[in-house]
Amino acid sequence: MRTHLNNKRKRIHITFLILGVMFLLFFIVDLLLGSLIVPVRQVFLSFFPASGINETFRTIILDFRLPKALTAIFAGAALSLSGLLMQTVFRNPLAGPFVLGISAGASLGVALFILGFSSVTALGIFSFTGAWPLALVAWAGSFLVMTLVLYVSSKINDIMTILILGILFTSAVSAIVNILQYFSNESMLKAFIVWTMGSLGNVTKSQLAVLTPALTIGTILAFLKVKNLNAFLLGESYARSLGVSVKTSRLLILLSTSLLAGTITAFCGPVGFIGIAVPHICRVLFKTADHLVLLPAVILTGSIVMLFSDIVSQLPGMQTTLPINSVTALIGIPVIIWIIIKNKKFVPVS
Amino acid sequence: MKQQNSCNIKLDNLSVGYEQTGAPPLEILNNINLSASAGEMVALIGCNGIGKSTLLRTIAGFQPWFAGNITITNRELNTLSPKEIACIMSFVSTENIRVPNMSVFDLVAYGRFPYTNWVGMLTNNDKAIIREAIEKVGLSGLMQRPVLQISDGERQRAMIARALAQDTPLIILDEPTAYLDVSNKYEIFHLLQTLADEKNKTIVLSSHDLNIALREVDKLWIITEDTNYQGAPEDAVLNGWLSKLFINENIGFDADEGAFFFKKKFRAKVKVEGKGLPLTWTLRALNRKGYQIVMQAEHDLKIVIKENSWTLTSGKVIEKFQSIYQLISFLENHLR
Repeated sequence: MRTHLNNKRKRIHITFLILGVMFLLFFIVDLLLGSLIVPVRQVFLSFFPASGINETFRTIILDFRLPKALTAIFAGAALSLSGLLMQTVFRNPLAGPFVLGISAGASLGVALFILGFSSVTALGIFSFTGAWPLALVAWAGSFLVMTLVLYVSSKINDIMTILILGILFTSAVSAIVNILQYFSNESMLKAFIVWTMGSLGNVTKSQLAVLTPALTIGTILAFLKVKNLNAFLLGESYARSLGVSVKTSRLLILLSTSLLAGTITAFCGPVGFIGIAVPHICRVLFKTADHLVLLPAVILTGSIVMLFSDIVSQLPGMQTTLPINSVTALIGIPVIIWIIIKNKKFVPVS
Repeated sequence: MKQQNSCNIKLDNLSVGYEQTGAPPLEILNNINLSASAGEMVALIGCNGIGKSTLLRTIAGFQPWFAGNITITNRELNTLSPKEIACIMSFVSTENIRVPNMSVFDLVAYGRFPYTNWVGMLTNNDKAIIREAIEKVGLSGLMQRPVLQISDGERQRAMIARALAQDTPLIILDEPTAYLDVSNKYEIFHLLQTLADEKNKTIVLSSHDLNIALREVDKLWIITEDTNYQGAPEDAVLNGWLSKLFINENIGFDADEGAFFFKKKFRAKVKVEGKGLPLTWTLRALNRKGYQIVMQAEHDLKIVIKENSWTLTSGKVIEKFQSIYQLISFLENHLR
């Protein structure tokens, strides 16, 4: 019995160690690779101000590649974490930032902004202020949906109803977006489509300054609720009988979710399949249901998967980059299919 | 969080039901007056849909009630926080727990939830309590088995072990014996009875296994559409409460046998001669097929049982059979 528990703990430690090494490796590779080849030595030296290296290289590394790599880490970690939280609270293996309509809310905000204004105004704002207003409307949209979901979930106890509402909301939003697209001109349409493809590269250092605290708060909230997350695995009745204040806990967990997923969607566009796939990968890797292990596990694994996606999307050595959304879909979907086939059915969360 | 060793529970003029949006609240049961003392095992019985689960969920503090009081050892339930409630009572529902990567030990460990720190770290004392609970329900060999790979009976035991690990003076179980085979049903009842007895726990459970409940529990809570009753099972029988349990007129309670039966339209009158077990079971078989057993004359059929042979006389027909099955087949096929 005791040796069994020790073996389990050992296995978890080793898995974390391997993932940690992979994380470092992918992070360095992500900094190294891009349309322009920067020598390894220059990459390291660019972190030291006095090291007198080529300023072009320094700019590329510090102003472009580092923010992008950090954004990839943040996006992967935040989306995976929010996916895990949703799957646990909603006790549904298919739950993720998309299912509840959070990304749809963000899309609505962006669509109204880009397609709703006249092309001159929209493009004018766009070129003057960068992606900021775009991010803010997306943020507002996703928070609106999350508030709606929170409101409904405080009224209705049935989790399936909330999920179905999320799906309906997503459909309604895509209908509105379609109508807006129909009435918009070519340049507006292009600006919107580019956003929907998702991008890690548009996040600047100043935006990271907003992104970081929002994600930190979301992550801290999730860790504070780690014990209650475990209780939610048994369902709400059991959680209650164990002394959990179900409504408050659920509210805080969903708040954390909306902070994490909403922020990333706002700044990077709707990046799909990471939120659903990564928690499943972690359950297979760690063979545990304990959120004390799963929370750091999805953060680490999500970062790795997103760094990998970013590396792939740059098509090393080529001048173009692929939309990150397509890359995550191509990586995420096979994983989900593999899980379904391996288990003959979707792994139930609880 | 003061922990009590034993407790009693009292329901006064309780009215339970559901709030409905856009409609007046739906009252399911009202004017409930029931109680249970420390160390008692109580079975809540009533027909399907009468509101047993609603009542148990209300007692467990999952849903508000409309009127009346729930008092647990002189403390009103609605003044207690969820955490305090978790240290006073544990709950076992009919919900099937299917969490991947969770072992029986992990599941039972949930019982220590109200006592562990914010990350849920188990102390050695917690682990000892968990192991003891698992041993108590007889699952020691399955401690590391995933909960997805154990049988329904084992899972139900694991859930009871979880309640034991929670170490509360009051345990509430919603149909703990549903979906189990007869031997498991008896074992669960026996296990709970032992707990009530040895650990002075107050156990309230709902059940449809009346025949077992009648033999195993200390007290019955009977709820019917318009009233409720409490007392020893034997009192309930003597006062005729069990026959009032079902609205269906065809269900009767045999006070002699202590069992329920389905009233059938009687067909022919049969006189049976014989003795011992063959007689008893022949009567059962005839009863099952709806024949009326008569002692004296005025009979349509006569059956004489001798050394595992059955002789049937019906008018001029006389037939001999080697088994009850043959006898009943003949009756069914030739004498309808």
